[in-house]
Amino acid sequence: MSTDPDTSGLLRSILPPKRLDRLFDLCGAHGWKLIGAGAVVGALPPVFGLREGYMMTVLSEMFLFAILALSWDIVGGQTGYPSFGNMAFFGIGGYATAILVKDAAVSFPIAMVGAVVAVLVFAAINGLIVLRLRGHYFAIATLGILLAIQQVTRNLDITGGASGKILFDVPPGIVFYYFFLAVLVVEMAVVYYLTQTRFGFILNAIRDDEGKATAMGFNTTYYKTAAWMLAALFTGLAGGAYGLFNTFLDPQTAYNGAWNVELIAMALMGGTGTVAGPVIGAFGLHTIIEYVESSFVGWQLVLLGVAIIVTVIRFPKGVVGTLRAYANEMDYYERGGMAATDDEEVTTDE
Amino acid sequence: MAIAQFVVNGLLVGALFAAVAVGFALIWGVVDIINLAHGEMVMLGGYTAYWLLSIATGTAEGSVLLFLATIPVVVGVLFIVGYALQRTLVSRVIGTDIFLTLLVTFGISIAIQQLAIQAWTANPRSIQVAFADPSMVVGGLVVPKMKLVAFAGAIVLTGILYLFLQRTRTGRAIRAVSQNPEAAALVGIDVEHTRAVTFGISSAVAGGAGAFIATILNIQPQMGLIYTLKSFVIVVFGGVGSIPGALTGGLLLGVVEELTAGLVSSQWTLAVSFTLLIVLLVVKPKGLFGTGADNEH
Repeated sequence: MSTDPDTSGLLRSILPPKRLDRLFDLCGAHGWKLIGAGAVVGALPPVFGLREGYMMTVLSEMFLFAILALSWDIVGGQTGYPSFGNMAFFGIGGYATAILVKDAAVSFPIAMVGAVVAVLVFAAINGLIVLRLRGHYFAIATLGILLAIQQVTRNLDITGGASGKILFDVPPGIVFYYFFLAVLVVEMAVVYYLTQTRFGFILNAIRDDEGKATAMGFNTTYYKTAAWMLAALFTGLAGGAYGLFNTFLDPQTAYNGAWNVELIAMALMGGTGTVAGPVIGAFGLHTIIEYVESSFVGWQLVLLGVAIIVTVIRFPKGVVGTLRAYANEMDYYERGGMAATDDEEVTTDE
Repeated sequence: MAIAQFVVNGLLVGALFAAVAVGFALIWGVVDIINLAHGEMVMLGGYTAYWLLSIATGTAEGSVLLFLATIPVVVGVLFIVGYALQRTLVSRVIGTDIFLTLLVTFGISIAIQQLAIQAWTANPRSIQVAFADPSMVVGGLVVPKMKLVAFAGAIVLTGILYLFLQRTRTGRAIRAVSQNPEAAALVGIDVEHTRAVTFGISSAVAGGAGAFIATILNIQPQMGLIYTLKSFVIVVFGGVGSIPGALTGGLLLGVVEELTAGLVSSQWTLAVSFTLLIVLLVVKPKGLFGTGADNEH
């Protein structure tokens, strides 16, 4: 596949496709336990004394980005509608919470409910407009909406204009650590559950050939909108908490177009259309970005750009997809020349 | 009278938007790529002219003729940049998933952006042209001379591109590839080379427009995305691959923006442009001119 011929010999002896295939089967069979184990491991660091400081923030942000990347993937990877405007949900959630907490003096949990309602209403209207479009048009329309909202936010008084909102008396960092972790675990469970249901299969059918999915009698608009709202819900939750977590919100950070690309890159590098891929991608890429930002100030976008280009050209299936293709490479011969693939196989290649 | 003034301002700036957008439309039509790095070509064109002028005069000031003399160089440099980008990077993702092509061009865009910041700092710059003041007054309307030169320059760039596509052998090859790459290859056209030339020409025209933009507005490393999106609005309005459509769209967008700035507030121009984009996509995704690209792509 995309592995180099020189290194693949070595790789083959250490990790033959058969063994990797068995490992994938094992992961598939114990998906729930893996998610549970991940939740426990994620909950441990504070128990062992990590309660504040730099590492705490970085870990919280990793969970945050994993939520965003996985949400993007529900629509972008599973359903085949690559959105360049997911950060609009994030910003709306963030501003709704900020306004409720600061101007209406509502408590944080109630403000989050308000934020979720705001995001879902926005997503419904937004989805009505953009989900009719496909391909280039969909991608650019979502980007256009993100930028339009950013401009509107910049010009309104209630949002604090271009200077944004500073938030005082926020809950301690540990609250957000567990909040982001909990949202991530719930989201992984939901997405994992959906990939095994009819709902998930129909989303994949829409991605692979929307015309045929419609011809088979599925109301694709309904499924697309449902996936869109689900992505909006989790992105909005993350955004709602982010304002307080960051203690500051302005149009540039809340509707951050660069973040939008970052989270697409995360999903892509990990492997789109999978549960683990976007999460792995988010953890990996965010670690790299953190490192680059502290060590090579002013070069992070160059490196991000190069990383995206290399991934797209060399490994468009991401970590999980590439490994899975490697694990499945003998299937073709073993099953009498039938190109048998896994149910969850990423099928974006020609 | 104020409204007439806004319309004139809009038309003058709109021609530059149009010159940027024709290249965008051309790449979209011929190579079937949305080039999210197109705005960066405008930026690079502006900076190339700026530095050429700085080297020639010591400051970024000069006479009109000296400035105009930089344009051919800018066009040449940007042609090479565009050709190389297509040959080395973009050609590798043609025919794959649309969103991969968008990501590659976006990756190019942010990398160029930050390299430009590293090289030239984020400060806005502009080219001062000696004869710019005072403005001409025609029938009560103020027409800044440099804007008129930029307008003419943009129209000339667009016109040359149009004639090139219609009249020359390479132009015909480009149109052939846009209609049917396989058939074009069968009659002996080097499709890869033609696509790279298309990319180069588009970047060259965008770069030329960027040089003019540097004289009447200003340039800074992060200006690109706005121009890419404006191009998108214009192309959606005018229809993919249609040069007359892009020209009309550009002039109209300029007028709409100036009217918004004049009658409402300049803060709202971008919000209006992006809203216009969304409305157009919903109402008329295939553009007002030509048949355009297939929405069900």
